Amino acid sequence: MEKVKDALDFTDFSGVERFVLVVFSIFLLAFPWLGAGSFVKAVMIQFLLFSLFGMGWNTIGGYGGQVELGKAQYVGIGAYTVSVSMVWWNIPFWISMPIGVLIALGYSFMIGYPLFRLKGHYFAIATICTSLVLQDIFTNWKLVGAAKGIELPIHEHPDFLYMQFKSDTYYYYFIMVLFYIALFYMNWFRKSKLGYQLRMIKDDEEAAESLGIDIRWCKIKAYSIASAFVAVGGGFMAVYNLYIDPVSVMDLDLSIKIALMAMLGGAASLWGPIIGAAFLVPLDRFLGSWLGGHKGLIGVDFMIYAALIMVVSAYQPRGIWGIVEQLRGKGK
Amino acid sequence: MAFLEVHDIVKDFGGLVANSNVSFQIEEGEIVGLIGPNGAGKTTLFNCIVGYYSPDYGKVMFKGNDITGFKPFQTNQAGIGRTFQIMKVTTGMTVVENIMVGAFCRTNSRHQAREEAHEMLHFLGMEEISEQYINELPIAKQRKVGMARALATKPQLLMLDEVASGLNHTETDEMVALLKRLNVEKKITLFLIEHIMEMVMTVSQRVIVLDGGIKIAEGVPGDIVKDDNVIKAYLGEKYAKGR
Ligand SMILES: Nc1ncnc2c1ncn2[C@@H]1O[C@H](COP(=O)(O)OP(=O)(O)OP(=O)(O)O)[C@@H](O)[C@H]1O
Ligand SMILES: [Mg+2]
Repeated sequence: MEKVKDALDFTDFSGVERFVLVVFSIFLLAFPWLGAGSFVKAVMIQFLLFSLFGMGWNTIGGYGGQVELGKAQYVGIGAYTVSVSMVWWNIPFWISMPIGVLIALGYSFMIGYPLFRLKGHYFAIATICTSLVLQDIFTNWKLVGAAKGIELPIHEHPDFLYMQFKSDTYYYYFIMVLFYIALFYMNWFRKSKLGYQLRMIKDDEEAAESLGIDIRWCKIKAYSIASAFVAVGGGFMAVYNLYIDPVSVMDLDLSIKIALMAMLGGAASLWGPIIGAAFLVPLDRFLGSWLGGHKGLIGVDFMIYAALIMVVSAYQPRGIWGIVEQLRGKGK
Repeated sequence: MAFLEVHDIVKDFGGLVANSNVSFQIEEGEIVGLIGPNGAGKTTLFNCIVGYYSPDYGKVMFKGNDITGFKPFQTNQAGIGRTFQIMKVTTGMTVVENIMVGAFCRTNSRHQAREEAHEMLHFLGMEEISEQYINELPIAKQRKVGMARALATKPQLLMLDEVASGLNHTETDEMVALLKRLNVEKKITLFLIEHIMEMVMTVSQRVIVLDGGIKIAEGVPGDIVKDDNVIKAYLGEKYAKGR
């Protein structure tokens, strides 16, 4: 009960922040009725999805300060579990999605255990490698469509059990609900024992150990929470796109974008990943459709991201949110 | 069975023997000082006891349990707190949050952790800096934060690595008074490394002297200052510095 209260308690934020949150929430609720076109709607759905990814990443990457660049493998686990369950056994989304999350949790403990023997750059590289290995396996795994991926059977009529709808509005509201669950969870998480312990680990590992904190176990827990978050997003991607392949749900691209958005917006802050997604998702979409028409410009988008992250980290390592706080005189 | 028993600790850093067969005991409720010239192996001995280093040989017993090879978080959970000679200057958490992390060692509730942290701030007279960040504080205050958060884990044995270095006269006196209060009011056994001779001598009931990794003397402060080996160790160091 106390947990729920903490999750819904935003009173330690300033009045302005709470006001913006309310206005933003009203906007999110009303958005489908504002007459936006399908392109803009799709961008909004991506924005909410990547906010969800970023909030998950923020547990281990932001609060825990571990440069985690392998989240795509868990997006993939979520997406493939939902797709395969539906194609092979006709299992509804509401059963397959939780199973996907459980598999992601189990897998993340397995991977996390050896992974967190490593520190710093070695850890970052290892996260990339484990993700690439899993992607390779799926690219060659005939049973799950290998590189061609899986197409989900399209139901004739809208079906809530299988999360199949004709209109994007339903998907929009669904991802919005997930977004809020994530937001409330993170609002609790940042104030929880694990949240505090992770921040201590990020600040000073030696001191954290002297305060009774089992560093490795804390990191594994945070890593698994992050993995569960993105697996939910992966499940959503499967039913929303109705088609997945190892590139769309497991690419390094995706891992980097997840981390980049959270870092750009402001790691270890509640709003950071949302702000980051609000900047980068539209930019990504715009660049994507623009560069798509210009062969030879592939990779330019990543050059732009790289430049962005360099500018931000040079100016204010705590991202856009850090800049905002600095301007308000709260910065350190 | 003593409260803390250290048997024959050896720590060899690839030829440099920082601790060489060091043995001693501490009884519950004591205040014991650990002194010795720079590089004598004091911090290394602390690290061997608390688990930052695993000793190459020897055994550490705490309250009758063998804690040799325990990880630092395990020795802390067992009831040993420690502070660091060099406190890392961090920017991520306020003073009260630092102490809360210590309190979280014994509770899962944020509200209780916060309450305990505020009690600790009150006990140490640090309320006015509770919302500041470590990097905004002078060194003496930083050390006190290090102590406060270690205390928040509710240790029965507190090991302090040069908490008084860099303090002025009044601050040193305050520290001495505080240590005595901890010992009397909170019933915490204290084991402290100190460079300032007068301070160790006034606060400790017993003193252990290390030099070159070897325990060269142990006894009450009055005897230690007259001990030949101790005088030699310290004068030797002064002569070396003079050249
Ligand atoms: N991690 C390490 N690796 C190698 N040598 C070390 C290590 N830690 C300490 N030493 C060496 O061991 C010896 C004892 O160091 P230690 O820090 O324990 O001394 P100390 O008595 O605490 O000195 P000080 O009074 O300067 O703090 C020194 O010669 C030091 O250089
Ligand atoms: Mg030392």
